[in-house]
Amino acid sequence: MSPKRTPKKAVKTASAQPRPGDLLINDPILKTISRAAFALVMLFALLLLWRGHNAPGGGFIAGLMTVCALILHRIANGDSALRVDPVKFIPWGLALSFTTGLVPYLLGRPFLKSDYGYLTTALTGEFEWATALLFDLGVFLVVVGAGLALAYALIEVDPTELVEGDS
Amino acid sequence: MTLAVLFPLIMAAVCALLARQLGRRTGYLAALGFLPALLLAVPLAGNSVEVGGTPFNQVTGWVPELGLNFAFRGDGFSLLFAVLIGVIGALASLYSVAYLSERERFGRFYPYLLLFGGSMLGLVLSDNMIALFAFWEMTSVTSFLLIGLWHTRSEARDGAIKAFLVSALGGLGLLAAVALLSVAGGSTTLSGLDLEAVRASPMFIPALLLTLLAAFTKSAQLPFHLWLPTAMEAPTPVSAFLHSATMVKAGVVLVAKFGLIFGTSALWGGIIVPLGLATMFWGSWRALKQTDLKALLAFSTVSQLGLLMALYGLADAEGRFAATTHLLNHAAFKAALFFVVGIIDHETGTRETFRLSGLRRKLPLTFAVALLATLSMAGLPPLGGFISKELFYEAMIHAGPGFIAVSVIGSAFTLAYCARLIGIFFGDFRAPEDDTGQPLKPHIHEAGLGLLLPPALLAGAALLFGILPSSAEWLTRRAGAALNFAGYEGHLYLWHGVTPALLLTLLTWGLAALLVWQAARVYFLQVHVEFPLSSNRIYRGLLRGLETLASRVIAGTQGLALPDQLRITLAAAGLMGGYAVWRAPQVFQPLEAVPLSTLPIAVLLVAGALGVLLSRNRLTAVVLTGLTGFGSAVAFLAMRAPDLALTQLLIEAVTVILFLLVFRSLPGFRSLPRGRVRGVIDVVLAGSAGIGATLLVLASIRFLSPPISPYYLENAYKEGGGKNVVNVILVDFRGWDTLGEIMVVAMVALAVGSLVRLGRRGQARSEKDTAPASQDLLDLQKRQS
Repeated sequence: MSPKRTPKKAVKTASAQPRPGDLLINDPILKTISRAAFALVMLFALLLLWRGHNAPGGGFIAGLMTVCALILHRIANGDSALRVDPVKFIPWGLALSFTTGLVPYLLGRPFLKSDYGYLTTALTGEFEWATALLFDLGVFLVVVGAGLALAYALIEVDPTELVEGDS
Repeated sequence: MTLAVLFPLIMAAVCALLARQLGRRTGYLAALGFLPALLLAVPLAGNSVEVGGTPFNQVTGWVPELGLNFAFRGDGFSLLFAVLIGVIGALASLYSVAYLSERERFGRFYPYLLLFGGSMLGLVLSDNMIALFAFWEMTSVTSFLLIGLWHTRSEARDGAIKAFLVSALGGLGLLAAVALLSVAGGSTTLSGLDLEAVRASPMFIPALLLTLLAAFTKSAQLPFHLWLPTAMEAPTPVSAFLHSATMVKAGVVLVAKFGLIFGTSALWGGIIVPLGLATMFWGSWRALKQTDLKALLAFSTVSQLGLLMALYGLADAEGRFAATTHLLNHAAFKAALFFVVGIIDHETGTRETFRLSGLRRKLPLTFAVALLATLSMAGLPPLGGFISKELFYEAMIHAGPGFIAVSVIGSAFTLAYCARLIGIFFGDFRAPEDDTGQPLKPHIHEAGLGLLLPPALLAGAALLFGILPSSAEWLTRRAGAALNFAGYEGHLYLWHGVTPALLLTLLTWGLAALLVWQAARVYFLQVHVEFPLSSNRIYRGLLRGLETLASRVIAGTQGLALPDQLRITLAAAGLMGGYAVWRAPQVFQPLEAVPLSTLPIAVLLVAGALGVLLSRNRLTAVVLTGLTGFGSAVAFLAMRAPDLALTQLLIEAVTVILFLLVFRSLPGFRSLPRGRVRGVIDVVLAGSAGIGATLLVLASIRFLSPPISPYYLENAYKEGGGKNVVNVILVDFRGWDTLGEIMVVAMVALAVGSLVRLGRRGQARSEKDTAPASQDLLDLQKRQS
């Protein structure tokens, strides 16, 4: 990659050529359905995350579901539903998961030892809390960040650019 | 003590957070970070350590099951060294406030410095050898960061890499030595080692050699000294810290502490003393050749470290006493001198000796400080350096005539380069100019208090150690019980009568005077005498060899096209299954009855797989691959594993999406080469891989007994408080694995992200793509098929 060699611009054939990232933009059916589906899938993902401790679900699955929802949104609307770069979720997720492990260690218990208990309120009845949920939240953030980072990186590739080895 | 080690590390984080707001004032915070280390002076001053009273221990559990703990042991030597680190660390932080420019990235500098200081404290205080190794490696990493602080300069990068490679080599040696010792001695703590068992063990000699490798690489002894002079690319306050109290002395600490284990062996002293003296001689010879003040000091450190090594290597009480005294003196004068060179560099803009002269007139205070420190380094009375040099001669007289000769010549060179150093202050003042004749700095004036105070304090200490030897002896004696010279009767005197050592000193002075008198000729000789075997050349050769080897290996294994790599993977899967069956043919004994309900799923899976083979279109292929995935999900459901099924389903969905995104960048499916012979090979490979994997699964079902699942089912709710066993396993029982896995996921995402971005830059081959029928593309296809 010497500085002398300037990248050759793709030959544009008028405006018919799709730009990277606008795969199916302005497809009205997709756009309409995605709006509803996005909200539903997101809700379901959060539900999965929440109930993961006692029923099928958990941070990994919820993260994958969220990734699907966000990719759908991106494909339908051409822009990310998030205001931030998803890559930023990764360090925060790792930090959160690590901290939930570190806190019990600093309190003199084994690393990552989780704790749980019950709260009873008039409104919700008996309610179980578990620190494992925080760990799961970290997993969720990492999975969302990683999945979206992958997908967005691929979406942003200009399909006309090929790398060595392709033919 | 735990606090003393931990506090700099915590302050590092604080400094990193606040550096943006505080700017250069972060340095005061950093100096604060060394406060607990300074407080260690309180137990040190108490009498209990001196007379061999029980050193106080602090143990913090890390992985107690593996004998891995942070066991800190405050014996006299460790405390003395820790206080030394604290003092010089704090002074270096304060000095750098005035030294560094406003544009410096304080958010990096001070955290690195504190991390380094903290790991060094951990190193000297650690009783647990594995923790000691961990701190040892931390000093390597942090010194790498410090040396490479100005990473835009290639010299800084080279210096950092060189220092890291050399000391990491020694670090591996230390790890092995520590492992051998703890196996042989039955304990992972230094104080808990069974010395008799270690000495009787066959692992004694290997452990000894490996320890020496570690100590020599870290302390820049002769074959490994090459990294130290290039390490001066670090900012000057760092050099002062690195060269006086810390990094380079780590090897000396190792020799001093482990000498109590290995000292009984003749091999120990037999290697260390000659090598140490050779290093001392070589360092002083090279130092005399330098015209850059900092390089001169760097080689002088090499030389002084050789001296210290040799003294500790003598492994008798006298040697240890002398070495500890010199350790103190060296820390004081070397740090002061580095600070002084920093001032000169800061005020005049150059460190070249031939550009500088007569600075006495412009920088009188700096001159006074430099004079004291230099005289101490030269070993002239009435300074601390003189006393420890006398002790050194005394010890060498007992060692043998050959050793005396080398040490006298080395000392003469030392005096000569000290004369060169101090020479820049004498003569007529001449404003330093650059190569074009422009003055480097318009107005040369005395440095401010922030720059002058730290070296002045240290030079004061050097003077104090000289005129009041009992002060130095008081400090040295603190280490007596720990280093086993408490019974040594010798004392420090400035005048100890006409002894052989004094005569040797006079001889040294005579030789040095000769060297200074004939300075021009000596320099001429030095420039023209080239030693063919330079360790730098060997280092470069080794590095180049390694690179060649690595690129060959990569070209041989990684450079294959994707289909070839897949073939290798598949063949491996087949071989593994075959091996399993060969080892345990019982797999073929009757399987349990296959439930009828799973048959449709099996049919679905097989149909999907066959469909992929037959499809002529990439999209169909992917969808059909998905079919096998969904089939697996159904199978999981049938086996009552909804979590797995859900995961499988979602993974399939995401995979399909990612596939589709990648497809846009791939050429047409039909244009893929399909050879007949290769096709047959592939069928065989795929078939054997499939059979192998199946056999492997069958084998693992039969031989994994007793199953662990009942344990999880019983304890999931009790211990983890969750009714979903799978998730409790993931987040609680095997939380470590999950943590590792999400790290892998994160790594992969970052790597793929940067790879994709890399491919986007300047690699466009758009013409071929828009005109796929062009001639060279066809050629390419022909060649590939």
